Amino acid sequence: MLAYTLRRIAQLVPVLLLLSVAVFGFVEALPGSIVDTLVGTEGGDIEEARKILEKEYGLDQPVYVRYAKWLYRAVQFDFGKSLVTRRPISFELLSRIPATVYLAVVGISLSMLIAIPLGTFAAVRRNSGVDYTAQVSSLAGISIPEFWFAILCVLLFSLYLGWLPSSGYVSPFEDFWGSLQFLILPAAAIGFRQAAFTTRLTRSSMLDELSKEYVDTARSMGLPERRVIFRYTLRNAMIPTITISGLQLANLLGGTVVLESIFAWPGIGRAIFEAILQRDYPLIQAGVLVLGCIVVVMNLLVDLTYRLLNPRVKFA
Amino acid sequence: MNDKTRNRGVEATRREFLKATTVLAGTALAGLPGTAMAGKKHPKRGGTLRFGTRDDSVALDTHRNIIYFVSHPLTGITGGLVDFDDKMQPKPAVAESWDSSSDLMTWTFKLRRGAEYHNGQTIDAESVKWNVERIKDPKTSHAFTRSVLSDVERVTVDDKQTVRFHLKEPHAALDINLVYYPVNLMAPGAVDTADTHPVNCGPFKFKSWRRFDVCELVRFENFWETDSEGNSLPYLDGLVGRPKKEDRVRLTGLRTGELDLIDNVAYADAPAFKKDHGRTFDTWPVPQVGTAMMYFNLKNGLLSEKDNPDAHLLRQAIAHAIDHEGIHQAVFNGLGEISRGFYSSASPWHSKDIESWPKFDPDKAKALRKKAKGGDEKFSIIANDSFPYMQQSGELVHAMLKDAGFNAVLEILPGPVMLEKQGKGDYHIDSTANSYRLDPDGWFSRNILSTAPENRRRNGYKNEKADQIILAARKERDPAKRRLMYADVETLVNRDLPILYTHFVPLMMASNRARVKGYNVSYSGPWSYTGAGMRRTWIDG
Repeated sequence: MLAYTLRRIAQLVPVLLLLSVAVFGFVEALPGSIVDTLVGTEGGDIEEARKILEKEYGLDQPVYVRYAKWLYRAVQFDFGKSLVTRRPISFELLSRIPATVYLAVVGISLSMLIAIPLGTFAAVRRNSGVDYTAQVSSLAGISIPEFWFAILCVLLFSLYLGWLPSSGYVSPFEDFWGSLQFLILPAAAIGFRQAAFTTRLTRSSMLDELSKEYVDTARSMGLPERRVIFRYTLRNAMIPTITISGLQLANLLGGTVVLESIFAWPGIGRAIFEAILQRDYPLIQAGVLVLGCIVVVMNLLVDLTYRLLNPRVKFA
Repeated sequence: MNDKTRNRGVEATRREFLKATTVLAGTALAGLPGTAMAGKKHPKRGGTLRFGTRDDSVALDTHRNIIYFVSHPLTGITGGLVDFDDKMQPKPAVAESWDSSSDLMTWTFKLRRGAEYHNGQTIDAESVKWNVERIKDPKTSHAFTRSVLSDVERVTVDDKQTVRFHLKEPHAALDINLVYYPVNLMAPGAVDTADTHPVNCGPFKFKSWRRFDVCELVRFENFWETDSEGNSLPYLDGLVGRPKKEDRVRLTGLRTGELDLIDNVAYADAPAFKKDHGRTFDTWPVPQVGTAMMYFNLKNGLLSEKDNPDAHLLRQAIAHAIDHEGIHQAVFNGLGEISRGFYSSASPWHSKDIESWPKFDPDKAKALRKKAKGGDEKFSIIANDSFPYMQQSGELVHAMLKDAGFNAVLEILPGPVMLEKQGKGDYHIDSTANSYRLDPDGWFSRNILSTAPENRRRNGYKNEKADQIILAARKERDPAKRRLMYADVETLVNRDLPILYTHFVPLMMASNRARVKGYNVSYSGPWSYTGAGMRRTWIDG
């Protein structure tokens, strides 16, 4: 497993390299320049100001030179400074990532806490009330847009009941209980939506597994139903669920721009979105690279989890 | 109310209390702002105001970045030589008095003794000179900021309290250009931390900032301003800016009590909010944040005389196709005013002597379009995606032009792409707006004058008569005469149609009546005013 893990980590290098080229190319292809934005439009010395800024930011150099320099610094975890805020990129990203991770992890955990028991019981008690409830609620979760559900939550729990704050963020390191109050609504909005997908997936995986011969064998051997379900069937059924949840988590770590806007959540999604709008090249490049790393690492962790769930899985 | 009555404050009699509460109830029932009542309560120190804004600063260096006064909490740290009042007249700030030479080539400012930067450094003439030079340096400032000082050749120091501005050309309105936006003063000794911890001289000191999350400011205890009783201002202990981009998120935050004051109540929500919640919340209509308009590209293409002899005819056809009342109702929900010039009726520079643009007449629009060369060709309308009213105005104009038979296409674009298209002349009509022109010279000299860099970059309009008037108005001391001169230019603009004014951009702010006292808005929002805004606000309870 160690060799497999090391091999997978080594495979990250070309993936990230390709990603960095793609990001650089994408940013170069964007119409409009940050220099125009920073220089402004009024005044007779715009050209002079433009040249000064281009030189200061190294934008007067050919793209391959800039890429090489950027890559050289990036491998040392030095992404330079934001062209807009003029603060280190590491600061800009690190001040956003905790909020994003906090929301994504809690949101996805919540979804799994809802989805796995519900999907399992729906499969085990197929065509029962539980099954219908699971199917209807998951269909609703898939059908209802996330932002609309979020707004409904705000209206109900903040405006009418006054139980929770409508928007904002408090770091759990500053005030843990206070932070939970701000977390509940956005995490619920994420959790409900993701749970809808995961419930359906868990249910269908469980039905698939329950129809297999080893389940009949286990039952015929007189094993308690609880053990058959939770010890054997569920573990096998979890593989697609874990795969999808891992991808969902990676997706959420990439930011949820709409929910971040609704809940004024200072996540990385909105930071990168704003950076794209402003053409803050180093921030876009670093942000996308970091997100790319997160997705790749999440995939690796998901793959490694298969082995924990099912020891028969062999790593090639 | 006389001073004696005001000073009695909480000692008022029961009868006065009942009278006052009756007035308040009547005011509330009428859905009117409770400013009259707020004025009757005695201001008190303390409290932190939570301010929800649509926008946030892009960065902290207040010279290098545009600080948007309406919607950036960071504005609270800025201060400068001159303030203005609710009549938009310049008032003393860090400069206690000022004067200009008879030829308007030199302006001398006497600085207030004891005025300090947030780090305790004295605001002396040398530091003012340093600030002006930093703002004039393309390496360290934004072009917009620099442009208001483009006429300043150099600054000299007479003594510690006296600074002198020497101009390249006579200028009657230099003082209003020095209103603390954009010429705000930064402590020279703290320039190294301008991007991380700015040290300025406004009513609040910087504490922390996380973009799009929070901007924390605390009271500057040595701010130069006092109230009529000699109490130092501001009253607030602090201010927490909470940027929340979505208009309804801010409104919900206000209604749930998480925010005390918000900007930009959506036009669609404003009338209903006032009607349904007028008893609990004050609403503050800001008369004119900016002026919305359609910019026509006169540099090249179908609407330019250089490329099309019928360009003016086409612009007239477009103007006849645009229903200003439709924009007023559909985009601004009936708020604010339709504009025929740059300055609204709330401004001292508003003039009724302006000949209006061509009136809405779809049939005439169709006839002119058919008659004009290029009337069947494709027109591109562009609009910035950052401002909803620009987009919506663009969408409406697009629909109106289609109704008049124009082959128009609309593109909603981010700021950098807009700049690129404007610079290249790759558009025909730009749905846009302009603001921060406190003195008309700021608008006409920078956007209408044919030699102005912004005009040349974006629009290409040239009218020699307009140029002559604009240049003459800069040298005219008499405001009444200047107003008439600018009215003449507006008439020329409405005839020539390099731009078509559409609407004044209104702004509705709202506050929690029970908590926020003493607040009053002025011309463009919460900040820049002697006797109003954040400096006079206090928290009750």
